[in-house]
Amino acid sequence: MGQRGRAVLQSNASQQESSGTSQDALKHNRKHNICMVSDFFYPNMGGVESHIYLLSQCLIEKGHKVVIVTHSYGKRKGVRYLTNGLKVYYLPLQVMYNQSTVTTCFHSLPLLRCVLVRERITVVHAHSSFSALAHDSLFHAKTMGLNTVFTDHSLFGFADISSVLTNKLLTITLCDTNHIVCVSYTSKENTVLRAALNPEIVSVIPNAVESTDFTPDPSQRRDDRITIVVISRLVYRKGIDLLGGIIPELCLKHPDLNFLIGGEGPKRLVLEEVREKYQLHDRVRLLGALEHKDVRNVLVQGHIFLNTSLTEAFCMAIVEGASCGLQVVSTCVGGIPEVLPEDLITLCEPNVRSLCAGLEKVIARQRSGAVPTPASIHARVKNLYTWRNVAERTEKVYDRVVGEEVLPLHMRIQRLRSHCGPVAGSIFAFVAVLDFLFLLLLQWLVPDQIMDLAVDASGPFGMWNQESGIKKRTSSQKS
Amino acid sequence: MVLKIFYPQCCNLANSGLLIGSWIQGHNSAVVLAVVHYPFIPGQVKRYIQQVSTASGVKLSVLGSWSLPSEAEKGVENFLRDLRTIFPQDRWLQISRKMGQTGFNCSILDRSQGTILFVHYDQRNVMLSQLHPIQTEELDPSDSELRQVFQIVSLSQPLFLLDRYDDGPLKSTHWQSGGQEASIIVELLKMASVPLCLTISCLLHLLPLNFLCSKLSTCVQLSYRSDHLRALSSPKTAVGHSEFMRKANVLVSILVDMALGFLLMYWLYSDNHISMLANALVPAADHVAKELEELLQWLMGAPAGLKMNRALDEVLGRFFLYHIHLWISYIHLMSPFVETILWYGGLSAGLGLSFALALLSDMVALLTFHIYCFYVYGARLYCLKIYGLSSLWRLFRGKKWNVLRQRVDSCSYDLDQLFIGTLLFTILLFLFPTTALYYLVFTLLRLLVVVLQGILHLTVDLINSLPLFAVALRLTRFYRLAEGVKFSVLCDEPDTPLHLLMEINPLSCASVIKTYRTPTYSCYPKDSWTNLVKKLFVGELIYPWKHKTIKTD
Amino acid sequence: MEGESFTDINGTPIFLDCQSHSTFCREFTVTSPKVPVTKVIVFTCSIWLLAYAVFLFTEDTVVLTSAILITLVSMMLYVHLVKVEQETLFIIGSLGVQMSSSYASGRETTTFIELNKIKDIVINEAIYMHQIIYYLCVLLKDPSDPDAVSSVVPLFQSSKPRLNCLMKVYRSCQEILSKCP
Repeated sequence: MGQRGRAVLQSNASQQESSGTSQDALKHNRKHNICMVSDFFYPNMGGVESHIYLLSQCLIEKGHKVVIVTHSYGKRKGVRYLTNGLKVYYLPLQVMYNQSTVTTCFHSLPLLRCVLVRERITVVHAHSSFSALAHDSLFHAKTMGLNTVFTDHSLFGFADISSVLTNKLLTITLCDTNHIVCVSYTSKENTVLRAALNPEIVSVIPNAVESTDFTPDPSQRRDDRITIVVISRLVYRKGIDLLGGIIPELCLKHPDLNFLIGGEGPKRLVLEEVREKYQLHDRVRLLGALEHKDVRNVLVQGHIFLNTSLTEAFCMAIVEGASCGLQVVSTCVGGIPEVLPEDLITLCEPNVRSLCAGLEKVIARQRSGAVPTPASIHARVKNLYTWRNVAERTEKVYDRVVGEEVLPLHMRIQRLRSHCGPVAGSIFAFVAVLDFLFLLLLQWLVPDQIMDLAVDASGPFGMWNQESGIKKRTSSQKS
Repeated sequence: MVLKIFYPQCCNLANSGLLIGSWIQGHNSAVVLAVVHYPFIPGQVKRYIQQVSTASGVKLSVLGSWSLPSEAEKGVENFLRDLRTIFPQDRWLQISRKMGQTGFNCSILDRSQGTILFVHYDQRNVMLSQLHPIQTEELDPSDSELRQVFQIVSLSQPLFLLDRYDDGPLKSTHWQSGGQEASIIVELLKMASVPLCLTISCLLHLLPLNFLCSKLSTCVQLSYRSDHLRALSSPKTAVGHSEFMRKANVLVSILVDMALGFLLMYWLYSDNHISMLANALVPAADHVAKELEELLQWLMGAPAGLKMNRALDEVLGRFFLYHIHLWISYIHLMSPFVETILWYGGLSAGLGLSFALALLSDMVALLTFHIYCFYVYGARLYCLKIYGLSSLWRLFRGKKWNVLRQRVDSCSYDLDQLFIGTLLFTILLFLFPTTALYYLVFTLLRLLVVVLQGILHLTVDLINSLPLFAVALRLTRFYRLAEGVKFSVLCDEPDTPLHLLMEINPLSCASVIKTYRTPTYSCYPKDSWTNLVKKLFVGELIYPWKHKTIKTD
Repeated sequence: MEGESFTDINGTPIFLDCQSHSTFCREFTVTSPKVPVTKVIVFTCSIWLLAYAVFLFTEDTVVLTSAILITLVSMMLYVHLVKVEQETLFIIGSLGVQMSSSYASGRETTTFIELNKIKDIVINEAIYMHQIIYYLCVLLKDPSDPDAVSSVVPLFQSSKPRLNCLMKVYRSCQEILSKCP
């Protein structure tokens, strides 16, 4: 205990020193207590999940305190700690569809309030517009007077009924949000249009790829054949029907072509049927669901990476493919054209003919050997997208957001009504008032000062840092 | 290190002497079992300890000395120290009481010094109690400390046989039984039980029970009871606590069952209740049949304002009506014999209440056979339609069920196939509500009967499996079944070591029932509720609590 | 040793009493306040008034009788099964940990856990109803794998003290546990 106490003193002293140097430095070194909220987190696997995890890790490295709030996954309920003291709250909320929780606008308030109060959160950062919990948390955080940031990971249409509804919801929740982060310029345009936002509060911070995990290894390839790798969830949105059209056409033309398909989903049936119909069992391999650590080992076995998505805000998979030194062929949709330099990617229209033509071109190039070496591709991609860069840029967003003032209730209602149209605006103004009253009730039942403040695991006073510091110190003493 | 000494309460006021007990292996603690008083001859003490050790299987030794304040004279100190040389030990305890102090003092004569903790226990309770969860009786050094204490105390019963009034060379203090006057009767009973058991088991071997069908609950109960009796009447004595408890539970439950059965018989045969029942039974069956007939008539019209397919409705209704007609004539044929059947059936209560209940359940099943038949016809029809509709619906969407791969594949059909399929689909779809209604009504009736039978089965099961002996033991001798122990501070004086009192924490009644429940044929529904509802929806047959083997393809 | 007053997670005052019998044996008693008389009166009065209102409509005395019976039975059950007045943690070094709770009716339940089954005593976080709370718990060893935790036994389950109270108990428990290997 004594050692711990000393560590606290020391860290305090170091803080004071740094604050002593200059007022300006303080502003830049300001540490935030960040709460990441999303329905999607580990053990679920996907782009949003790894984005949240890696961003949080980088922010913790920079000395901020980060907690993650998500809903419970099966037996995984309650409070868990991940690497470096990343605290995750798995709240017991009912899952409705596709891992997204049910929203009633109110029932998540007590638990969210508890988390926000006991962790002394200063910034609430919500992720993904598919997540009901994220929308709820944005709404509740505003009621509690906290600043909010929202990251949008996906693109939406404007035509069908579900996107109309989601867009309305997004308009309402985002009209209060201090800052919005999009992953690509296309996504920014899309979000600004959908949620009728002021473009100035929307920034673009692309996703990143841990390029050290995706290094090329040409020895794994079979040189007598050409292998096309596809890694994506097998769902409609990822254009698996297009893939089902491409496979027989190309396989008939090129007898030395193989397909390696990783991922699981309802559209697996399409691929299985194609395989059976054209007797391609030896040439089309379906690997099923892949763990993140296995992805690289699959990627390096191929020559060409194919992405057939129909809509995509920022495609991490093609960056991973390029990082492993593969030739990338992709549909030209959403934010994909922004992602890679033109000479590293072959863009096609999202139809079978165009994709086949693009693939033919790349196969011909591969045969003639007129392609850059995998190592040179990796070297170019390596420094394009790094998590440190993302964390730095996100930090700037936080620095900006913390300074802003939170609108009081009446201003908020006014803004809701002016911003979101007379009907929906009034309804949600009413909901906001109810939410506020509910908050008052909760504060009366369990006042803030009754709640125990959580012991920090990460951040400037994090116990985990200090313990590792102690370990370091003892080890240095030994040496 | 803390040295723990488990000390029996009965030796608190014993005269000075030697402490006899055992060191617990693997733990820093000792169990004191008895105090051998002065004067003694060391050779005899050694021989006695040797004898008891071999008899009990516990490694007994002299732990140290015990002295009361009255003998606190000069020179005693040296004497006590000298005793150690007579009984060579690694550690020698010197426990003494002082005037005006409740606590004991203790000093250890060996190299290691440490604090001492006295744990007082009631020797009788600890000896007789059984720690739960039950484990093997063998002494195992890897066991937990308390378990070892319990085992040592219960195994060293031979030590407690030395009576205070015996005129032997050694005098000792430990727990002593109040007397064994009743033991002669118990012995006589034991003697008598052996030939009884042998005859019963011979009789049971003669009975050909195996071929009796397992469908009737009476037969199930009969074979179940005979199993019980066979277990009871095996001439071997019960080995181990759990087997003994099982036998006792079965015996008590059979006795209680029979007593209840005799009460029932007394009621049945005393006031001519049988004929009253018989007279009521036939009209009741008639009444049920009549109600059913009315229900069918209602269904054949426009039930609840629904417009059914007239032709199919008529066909189904006539079919069921004919069935009821058959049933009524069957009942009337039977009516003269009902009283005799009941009279002989009532005799079965002599075997136990559970038999009477099982017989009742069978009779209910027989008397509602028509409902069962209706249900089966309805369910089969309904099931057929559901299957037809689902496969035609797949055809409609250009899919088919791939039997080999157990999945739905897409498939391109001919125009003819599609035409016929669609036609059939329409016909089935329009006839579906009529069948579904019949199915619904008869399923509800069937469920009623199933619930009634289920309640009867549960009661029989309860009688069979309730561990009455264990519950009685828990209520009268709470220390016999121990869940664990509880400690409380006995005395806490500044100079003396800490004294704790160890008491038995009795097993809670719920866990008594849970541990000692006699295993029965699983009479509970195997399906979960959702599964049951699913089965009902698809039209699979449901059975009352029958144990069906799962088909494996 | 003298007692100290703390609050539980709902803000009601509770009383922690630490008794040190020896260097290796300590007893912690958490006493919750008794059921307030006003609460009992309000409860009974509301039920009886409700019953009387029903009685005025139905004019059936069974309603009144059953109301009285219900209040009596529910109060008895509450006192016997729900309301815990005192929770005690009795930690004896080198022997084990004993938890007991005494109900308002005087019923007492006790559990003793031997030391060789205990892996550690820790403070943990959990989601309880609509709150996230800290609680003290005993980690039990898995007999097959000595490093794994097979189950968790929460302490002070019904009084639910706040973190400062738990810290105090935790520190002295660790003191004793660290002495006995």
